[in-house]
Amino acid sequence: MNKLPWVDRFKPKTLQEIVGNYNAASELLEWVKSYLAGKADKKAALLYGPPGNGKTLSTHLVAEALDLELIEMNASDFRTEEVINEIAGGASLQTSLFGKRGKLILFDEIDGISGKEDKGGISAIINIINKSRYPVVLIANNPWDSRLKQLREISHMIKFNRIRSPSIVVRLRRIAQLVGVNAEEGALKRIAEAANGDLRAAINDFQMLAEGKKILRESDVIKLYQRSQELEIFEVMKGIFSANTILRAKMVAESSAVDIDMLMQWLNENIPNQYTNSEERAEAYDWFSKADVFLNKAKRKQIWDLISYAIELAVGGAALAKKESYKFTKYSFPKAIERLSHDKEERDRRKEELKLLGRELHASMKKVITEYLPYINIIYSKET
Amino acid sequence: MIKQRIREVMWTEKYRPKTLDEIVNQEEIVERLKRFVKEKSMPHCLFAGPPGTGKTTAAIALAMDLFGEDYHKNFLELNASDERGIDVVRTIVKEFARTVSMGNVPFKILVLDEADNMTADAQQALRRTMEMYTSTCRFILACNYYTKIIEPIQSRCALFRFMPLKPEDVKARVRYICNMEEVDITEDGMEALIYIGNGDLRKIINTLQAAAALSKKVDENSVLKVAGRISPRELREALEKALNGDFSGARNKIMNLMFEYGLSGLDIIKQLHREVIILDIDEKLKLKIIEILGETEYRILEGGTDDIQLNTMIAKIALLGENR
Repeated sequence: MNKLPWVDRFKPKTLQEIVGNYNAASELLEWVKSYLAGKADKKAALLYGPPGNGKTLSTHLVAEALDLELIEMNASDFRTEEVINEIAGGASLQTSLFGKRGKLILFDEIDGISGKEDKGGISAIINIINKSRYPVVLIANNPWDSRLKQLREISHMIKFNRIRSPSIVVRLRRIAQLVGVNAEEGALKRIAEAANGDLRAAINDFQMLAEGKKILRESDVIKLYQRSQELEIFEVMKGIFSANTILRAKMVAESSAVDIDMLMQWLNENIPNQYTNSEERAEAYDWFSKADVFLNKAKRKQIWDLISYAIELAVGGAALAKKESYKFTKYSFPKAIERLSHDKEERDRRKEELKLLGRELHASMKKVITEYLPYINIIYSKET
Repeated sequence: MIKQRIREVMWTEKYRPKTLDEIVNQEEIVERLKRFVKEKSMPHCLFAGPPGTGKTTAAIALAMDLFGEDYHKNFLELNASDERGIDVVRTIVKEFARTVSMGNVPFKILVLDEADNMTADAQQALRRTMEMYTSTCRFILACNYYTKIIEPIQSRCALFRFMPLKPEDVKARVRYICNMEEVDITEDGMEALIYIGNGDLRKIINTLQAAAALSKKVDENSVLKVAGRISPRELREALEKALNGDFSGARNKIMNLMFEYGLSGLDIIKQLHREVIILDIDEKLKLKIIEILGETEYRILEGGTDDIQLNTMIAKIALLGENR
């Protein structure tokens, strides 16, 4: 009796068997081929999308199809710079020992790299991408994290969508045949819908419900809990701004994997996108700014009870500021962080100039700007 | 910017007193400092007072009187708001203070300007540094508010409280400079200078020089003209855009100022505050803007994030502008 989880036992063996994201998988195949032919647009590919829709699997199958040795690193590895350099850095510079045609380097779950634990992790990956002679594949659920910005820029982005439930049902029915379970159509449909695009979750649920049974009825499945889904950040924004109650807005915020700091940045950026009417905008911001004060107090003084007030004010204010019904809005990424790196050289040069002036005038840069520059501008504009 | 000449061009530098004798106001302070020079001995000092009252000038003059020719070797000016982090201060101080002084004064002087911008933690570390080098180095901490200096440091320093300059002192200084620079100043020009300067001699002299650059005769008109133009152009534009309901335009201007000049949210609000007072708009509207500025500053002080709080401020001003 095969003890492997069904997810692994019935894993597709070739690209052709892939369910749902066949186009994305093909795109990856074409990209790796063009890389090997020296014609790729970017040095890495970044596969992104919600969990359980075939990103890692596709990478494995592409390596298989092209006879490449897969060097894989995932979140459980220590991804300190040292370790990365040793494993992947070494691998990317040597030819394969296994007589394969080459290698494919895979960094899985890169959005799981946390700044503290994996010091230099991101920069090490960038470093490897730049040095590597082999294609590098990156995988992330949420590629929009600001820490991944540089990786986004140097990667060929391939989106993996949620898998539609009819496709999931097809797959489940095939597995049911193989394990000899007689499953009602309605049962499979419910499992598929509850999984909300996550085929892995669907198969796991199916196994949990059906293993050891001859027949699976729809009524057995109804109890299955609707899996909490990580809504993508855009959906979270839409969910919050379109909500009509605080509770609804809060549920959207909390059912997502978006952490509170990121949520605050996104709201800060998108309140003016959502509300172009001055009154609505000012009201949303007023609540939001109070939330900001509470949140920072909570963090600084470690009064965690304050956080729930902060969340309710932030998302509730954003939701309830509207005077009319929700308007479809194009949301944007928070600018603030990106701006910091913008034109750094120019800023450094300015700073140096200000410092020199400050030394002459016995003043800090700030003072030079506020107490001297405006006058200097008048005085010099007269002189020249 | 022609930085080589700035020292000669700017009247604030050109007419900065070089010795304690030249300082015309702050008599009691000058007298105490002169005693330090005579005894060649002094404690750590805390110079507290509003901007432009002569704190840095007094420190420099004291050092020049004490050290004479060796002034440059024995005197160091640091800026708490530029030299980020106590580690930087500690390293620089260590370098400076560990060698003995040149000449016949047994210590060096280190001025730490804008010391009230340091966090309490940084001040604690500074206090240890001060203790460590007490035998070779005296500290002069300059600040606007001595209450923002932690008590252990206050208690180790002699406190000097600098007062805003009295109108007659301002007048004397302005007359002197006008005389030297051959500038004509009218009586109402002088009054306007005193009103706008509010005891801040740096601001007064800068305004005088800018007004003199604008017109041959410095009168009320030219002084007010300068006052209306001194704030960074971007900031005034930002305010105008906000009042015209252009949220993102105002936001971009302010973000630019913050990133390019490294201004904090509080800096922006304080500048806006100055600006609003002299803005040519309805007085009641001003009052409402001042309320918003105050509320914004309050929320930032309570721990709010610059970016979020400034956006809120702009949104509220935009609403005001629309309803006026």
